[in-house]
Amino acid sequence: MSAEAPATRLFFREAIARALREEMRAQPDLLLLGQDIGAFGGPYREFAGLHAEFGGARVRDTPVAEAGMVALGVGVAAAGMRALVSITYMDFLMLALDPLVNYAAKLRFKTAGQLRAPVVVKTTAGAKGQGVAHSQCIEAWMMGVPGLKVVAPSCAADAYGLLKTALREPGPVLFIDHKRLFPTAGLVPLAEAAIPFGSARILRPGRDVTISCHSWMTIPCLEAAALLAAEGVACEVVDLRSLAPLDLPTITASVARTGALLTVEEGQLTCGVGAEVAFQVREVVPAARVARLGAAAMPVSSNPVLEAAALPDAPRIAAAIRRLLHSQTNRTPA
Amino acid sequence: MIYQLQVPGPIKDVAEVRVLEWHVQPGQGFAAGDLIVEVETHKAVVELRAEQPGFLRRILSAEGDWQQVGAPLAMVADNTDEALPEGPDGLPPLPFGFEVT
Repeated sequence: MSAEAPATRLFFREAIARALREEMRAQPDLLLLGQDIGAFGGPYREFAGLHAEFGGARVRDTPVAEAGMVALGVGVAAAGMRALVSITYMDFLMLALDPLVNYAAKLRFKTAGQLRAPVVVKTTAGAKGQGVAHSQCIEAWMMGVPGLKVVAPSCAADAYGLLKTALREPGPVLFIDHKRLFPTAGLVPLAEAAIPFGSARILRPGRDVTISCHSWMTIPCLEAAALLAAEGVACEVVDLRSLAPLDLPTITASVARTGALLTVEEGQLTCGVGAEVAFQVREVVPAARVARLGAAAMPVSSNPVLEAAALPDAPRIAAAIRRLLHSQTNRTPA
Repeated sequence: MIYQLQVPGPIKDVAEVRVLEWHVQPGQGFAAGDLIVEVETHKAVVELRAEQPGFLRRILSAEGDWQQVGAPLAMVADNTDEALPEGPDGLPPLPFGFEVT
């Protein structure tokens, strides 16, 4: 989005509701399915007004039955319509992996393109005081499913633009938002506009080190970049936005300029987003120094002190960058 | 006496609000308990109700405006003729009650 484009300030939830409202108007075959998305307006009010405008036949409250909900949405999509299924917390997506992974993502391949499943599964990740089974970020599990696209916006404008694209995709999309993004607000272009998948965004330019991140982690990464700027270290913060497909050219071009990459995620490090990004970057920029930061290898506690202790924050991100750059300085020339 | 009406807080997770609707217009009086203005947070509507009678003198944040918690929304006074200062800086805050719905 160009800085000059006319824009309006919206809460994160309103950006989601706007994308849904516009696409519900444009696509009479689009259904919304989820727990409390009807008259209640959604767990974060991100479905507010949709039930009143489009009615209970297109905005459907479902039972607490995630496997059935996603299976229904995939079936609706395979039958020629389109569905968005809201899974309130990403932890419960585990219950619905079979219809999403084994059916929706494979349908186009199994039928030689005769059938497709244009279904969006929207879910909310992240830790915010709700404990072991309501806090997880399992997007890395989903990045390696052929046929499934995965996006994770970090601001209202990207939530709007990426959800617009998701709702026009010919195949299944996992759209991941975050509990801590819902209290935020941001400028969203007034003009109707979709953001293409596979397009990362440089949130802050810098010459010394690249930080790759997505979703809520963009916020502590930007805070860390501000801390380090005071020490004379210029961080380039890259918001991946799209995890599958990854925008490798933007990340590698950044790392080629800076020579160093720190990946940051709220999920686990082992086989995580950062592991994948770092390896792919090293294939293109072999000399790059890389380091990863993610959650500690433990469940996220509902105790706020233990929750904070398990997750990356701005001081830990800054410390990881100091270590990375220090090791680079001391590196023996090849 | 002239006061400033401020965005209420603290409200959990709320840093900024949007002014939804003024229920008293400049020049109008209000009684204790009257709804003066509604503001919107990321998930709720907050009603600001007067705790003492007074007059709304000047609105500083129009409907649709965004404001941080603690920022001035309006200048209010005990009467209609006391001259208003240029801005709200230094004015005592008007006591009010607020309810998050």
